[in-house]
Amino acid sequence: MASLNLQTILDKETRKKMIPYMLIAPVIIYYFLFWIFPVLNAIIESFKSIEGVWTLGNYIHIFKDPVFYRALLNTAFLVFFSVTIEFILAFGLALLINTKFKGSSFFLFLAMIPMALPAVAVGAMWSSGLATRGWMNSVLMTFKIVDDAGKIIFLAGGNIASMWLIILIDAWQVIPFVMIILLAGLQGIGAESREAGYIFGGTKFQVLRKITIPMLKPTITTAMILRIISAIQIWLIIVMLFGFNRIPVLLEQVVLNVDELGSDFFERIGMALSVIVALIVSAAAILYLKVSGSFEKEAEK
Amino acid sequence: MATLQLIDLAKRFTKKVWGVRKMDLEVADKEFIVLLGPSGCGKTTTMRMIAGLENVTRGTILLDDRDITDIAPRNRHVSMVFQNYAVWPHMTVFDNIAFSLKLAKLPHDVIKRRVRETADMVRIGELLKRLPGQLSGGQQQRVALARALAVKPKVFLLDEPLSNLDAKLRVNMRTEMKAIHQQTEATSIFVTHDQSEAMSMADRIVIMKDGKIVQIGTPDDVYFRSADMFVAGFIGTPPANFFKVLCSYDSGGIVLKHTHFKLEIDAEKYDKLKEYNRKEIILGVRPEDLLIASEDKAVFSEQILVIEPQGSHQVVALSFEGSIVKMVIPAGIKLNHGDKIGLDFNRERLHFFDKETEKRIILRQHLV
Repeated sequence: MASLNLQTILDKETRKKMIPYMLIAPVIIYYFLFWIFPVLNAIIESFKSIEGVWTLGNYIHIFKDPVFYRALLNTAFLVFFSVTIEFILAFGLALLINTKFKGSSFFLFLAMIPMALPAVAVGAMWSSGLATRGWMNSVLMTFKIVDDAGKIIFLAGGNIASMWLIILIDAWQVIPFVMIILLAGLQGIGAESREAGYIFGGTKFQVLRKITIPMLKPTITTAMILRIISAIQIWLIIVMLFGFNRIPVLLEQVVLNVDELGSDFFERIGMALSVIVALIVSAAAILYLKVSGSFEKEAEK
Repeated sequence: MATLQLIDLAKRFTKKVWGVRKMDLEVADKEFIVLLGPSGCGKTTTMRMIAGLENVTRGTILLDDRDITDIAPRNRHVSMVFQNYAVWPHMTVFDNIAFSLKLAKLPHDVIKRRVRETADMVRIGELLKRLPGQLSGGQQQRVALARALAVKPKVFLLDEPLSNLDAKLRVNMRTEMKAIHQQTEATSIFVTHDQSEAMSMADRIVIMKDGKIVQIGTPDDVYFRSADMFVAGFIGTPPANFFKVLCSYDSGGIVLKHTHFKLEIDAEKYDKLKEYNRKEIILGVRPEDLLIASEDKAVFSEQILVIEPQGSHQVVALSFEGSIVKMVIPAGIKLNHGDKIGLDFNRERLHFFDKETEKRIILRQHLV
């Protein structure tokens, strides 16, 4: 009788412990079917020739292609400057809004609009805006900054000029996102920490540098990681403004090979390329965490 | 050496909302002043204006006769202990305490010595290498205290520093902070809504209500000579009891008539009440000035509603005319709820208030 009793208790216990696993089971199944399986498949296929023979040929093809190095360089340039500029501007805006000046909540609402737009809409908006007869030139003409003959041909610039244009548009869309994350972090710190800084001898700049930024560091790390990852993966806006292969970047090359060129051979190249992009993304994230010291254990001085 | 003066100080938050309407206060050197009042009375706003964390709408703040009204917080020579400690979680205890000293560019050995001194004073000497996250609330409070003491400020501001501590720790810290004050002799301003905290720590208490000062005085002043009904009803555990009485004066003396009792008092002593002949006034009685009396001597009798034993004494609550009257009696007297007891007043210590203005009627004895 006693042993039976014990068993039912155990059963109840085990059943209780099972509940979380049962709840996440659908996600795990979904994950395996639609994520891990295709990813593994792509990785395997990237190491096979069209005939199904194991080979490094796809990778060798990529590393011999000068476009790949242009894409790599362009991507690095975009990531470095866009993330830096976006972070500085977003941080400034977050600090400004956090002072809660009159109308700051309305400004916050305004600033969030670009974030709500999908990348395709942003691309469409700017490609129509930057066309030679687009709204940007109309605005400039209305304010008599340029005349009809002197219309700026935005999209005809060289590589570097085009990339600054891309950075500008990307920043326009992404700054609100970074700002929201930083603002949430700032509001989590609370005013007292900063006020204590002012009382105990800090100027505005000293308090920012020695109190606000260090306390905001976990939030900054999160924002930077998210931004670096998505900056490496930029492509849609570029394709919408310039088409394929004008300003090659990594992910654009993947899409080009898989979707546009589309033959069996190019599809494999695209798979190999996406493996490379995935490695680069992981490496960048780990490198950032390392440099920012997030791996260091706290408080063991 | 530090004296602080607030002259006609006011703070308006929005067009209609005033944080502080009018503050005039002189704080002497080495004095421990407590700003006391219910939440929203303007006590914290006043402190924040002294600290420079809040702009001043009107008025002047003088520190050692220097106008600091519009000076940045860092140049005021004040330090502050915040309600939520506000110790910086990313700095060690040492760095927290040394922050202001480093910014002041003091020599290394001076900083080290000063940090050690203040840390020892608040008894966290062995925690200097820890991060605040590894400390208990009480220890973090001590870090905040040490950080404020290390500056050697002219004025030491404490914004409800004990309100987040548990009851026992709070009472211990009171004693300790008072001892530290006696040791450092820094002019201090302490904000609290806890009247027993205020009574036990202050040299003088400033009682505030709706952005104005109601009374400034020593703990004895505000308790025994409460300026109005608000103060009498705010100070004391439990606070004073009030009875509405009709005052009548004739050749026989002064008689106070209540619907339930009649009280004859000494016309010589309560001379001033003659002016209130045939008028209603408010009689205030502290709980310990209500006395148990035998049937024949009792002014009135009432049934006991609740008894709250406190160990050293007991609080007895009576239901009287729809409101609650509380009295404090010594421990050891055996009473049960439901018992009917006779009551008398300690006639040496009666308080009288004007029914219209609620202000204290100042009697001759207090003018001496």
